[in-house]
Amino acid sequence: MHDIKLEHSLSPSFPTIKWITEAISNIIVFAVLGVLFWVNDYFGWPTWVFWILIGLVALSILGVIWSIAEPVLLYRSWSYQFDDEYLQLSYGILKKEWVTVPMTKIQSVSTSQGPIMKRYNTRSIKVETMGSSHVIPALEQQIALQLREVLAEYAKLKEVDE
Amino acid sequence: MRYHPLTMVFKIYHLVKNSLLFALILFVFQRNSEFWLYEYGRYAFVFMFVWRLVYIVIAWIFERYEWEGRTFHLHKGIFVKHTSTIPFSKIQNVTRKTGIIHKIFGHTSLTFETAMDGEDDAIHFEVLTKKHANYLLDLVKPGETTIPDEVHKEAKPLDESVDEYADKQEKDRTIHFTPMRKDLWKASFTSLSFLAILPFIGGAYDYFEPFLPETDQVEGLFQRLLANAWLFLGIIVLAVIVAVVFGMVRTFIRYGKYEISSDATYIYIDRGVLDESYFSIEKRKVQGLEINQTWIRRIFGLAEVKLISTANPNMENGAVNVNSLYPFLPIEKAYQLIEDLLPVYQLDVELARLPRKSLWIKLLRPSWLWILATIGLFYFKPDFLQIDQAWWILSLGLLCIIVLNRILDYLHTRYAVTSDQVQWWHGGITSRMFITKRKNVIEMSYSQTRLQKHFQVASVSTINRSVPAHIEIINDIPLTYARVIQDWYLKRQEDIRIDKEAN
Repeated sequence: MHDIKLEHSLSPSFPTIKWITEAISNIIVFAVLGVLFWVNDYFGWPTWVFWILIGLVALSILGVIWSIAEPVLLYRSWSYQFDDEYLQLSYGILKKEWVTVPMTKIQSVSTSQGPIMKRYNTRSIKVETMGSSHVIPALEQQIALQLREVLAEYAKLKEVDE
Repeated sequence: MRYHPLTMVFKIYHLVKNSLLFALILFVFQRNSEFWLYEYGRYAFVFMFVWRLVYIVIAWIFERYEWEGRTFHLHKGIFVKHTSTIPFSKIQNVTRKTGIIHKIFGHTSLTFETAMDGEDDAIHFEVLTKKHANYLLDLVKPGETTIPDEVHKEAKPLDESVDEYADKQEKDRTIHFTPMRKDLWKASFTSLSFLAILPFIGGAYDYFEPFLPETDQVEGLFQRLLANAWLFLGIIVLAVIVAVVFGMVRTFIRYGKYEISSDATYIYIDRGVLDESYFSIEKRKVQGLEINQTWIRRIFGLAEVKLISTANPNMENGAVNVNSLYPFLPIEKAYQLIEDLLPVYQLDVELARLPRKSLWIKLLRPSWLWILATIGLFYFKPDFLQIDQAWWILSLGLLCIIVLNRILDYLHTRYAVTSDQVQWWHGGITSRMFITKRKNVIEMSYSQTRLQKHFQVASVSTINRSVPAHIEIINDIPLTYARVIQDWYLKRQEDIRIDKEAN
């Protein structure tokens, strides 16, 4: 199933965006841990607190390593395609998913953009159906807006029997 | 038009019922307490109670409902006016309940449920006359009946065409199932209903605790009881008999009078001895079917058939689940019933079994539950029945249950995809069958973990409309078959029609 690739892929700047966001959150995590170490030292908390903190540091370091590898892997794993009947998404690193959503079952489409995504001129698209919601994490602004229009147009169609 | 005046009585009854406990606490048990919470609570309670009472009356005066063409208009609210519009075509199912209060006045209640989200998703008529209920029921039924396009401000005498239509409907109904005494006996034991007395006793004890003698006295009594072996045995036997009888009575009241019937377009369920209820759903609004078999039901050869629909499963008081056809059907009868009620579903399809490699992958998959439980047990080493080594025995026991569950899951899993329907059995200790039509599957996905990739198997999941969305997953089927299901789903367009007018 790993060989299956759908028509479109994410914006090439997705890994960079992901790296920056992950780096920021990692810095925050380490800052918090640093403060905790200081507080621990200052108030002389029991020894087991120190060991828990060491454990958290170890986990965070693993997290950092993962956050370096993850964006590229995720970027490679992601692909999507759509026609007038279905929106198909395929993604996942350890667990590969392939989702098929009929256009007629799409309830709403929205795009959003954070400050980092804005810097790279990308947007994410969120598609909501009656039973679930899916996010395409980063598309070039123009493509995202186009896709939103297309999805919204197809989603207008409704099946008889609803 | 206004809701029936007895609606007020009904609402007041519920108000009194719901505030009874507070009233007892505030004015009886704690009547001498000067604690500020009770002190002011009494005033607050009286104020709230009177306010609710006044509100019920005013709301009755202001709130109205009417219908125009094939659409309900409901006007709600006193200060903030709120009108909601519900077309008949959005009504998914109808529930009619006749509680004891209703019986006393010879009335009934009616709920039309829709698949819409939000607070306006259902139309409740708390009290109405039986005649009017029947009239409304016929009104919302889709059919050739054309209701004149004028606003009905007052109840009109029954339209002749409606009347005829109703008669025809009545005649066409065939009864598919009513429980026999034998079924009820089985039901009573398989549902372990005799255990239901425990919370009942607990509740009663809590309620009457203030009136009971001191705990010391009770304990003294208990000691004396233990001393006399025969008396003790007698009491246990008596307790068991009481529990079984209680369970039987409970089962008979819940499932005693039960009737599943259908006509060309609708399924009807009538049930209840004390609280009568009536449920109807249009056949084409059934999204799928489910058969459930817990291990105890499997021993007795019974099964529960559930309809997957957008009906709200938790109606008040946690009473019988409206989606459940009947929880204790003999398995052949269950199949028969599905074939009779919904002939579009074909149950005689030959189902494929999992290949042997699926068993290995099921057994190889790490069980996080077991790992966490074992770590916990190892760390805390709980004392259990005074056995020193209890922790690893418990851990081993859990492992055995998990392995057994997985082997059973392997044995139970069977699946088939035919032209327009998908059907599968799965589950270990509790096994479940799921069947649905392609057009009713609103989303489909398949997934593969690294381990599954190694074994060339995959998991398939489907989503059906329900509240909340009904998600079904079948694990570890061969990858080739998962692809077949995916391709099958991509041809979904064959089964559906696009509503051109909705554009």
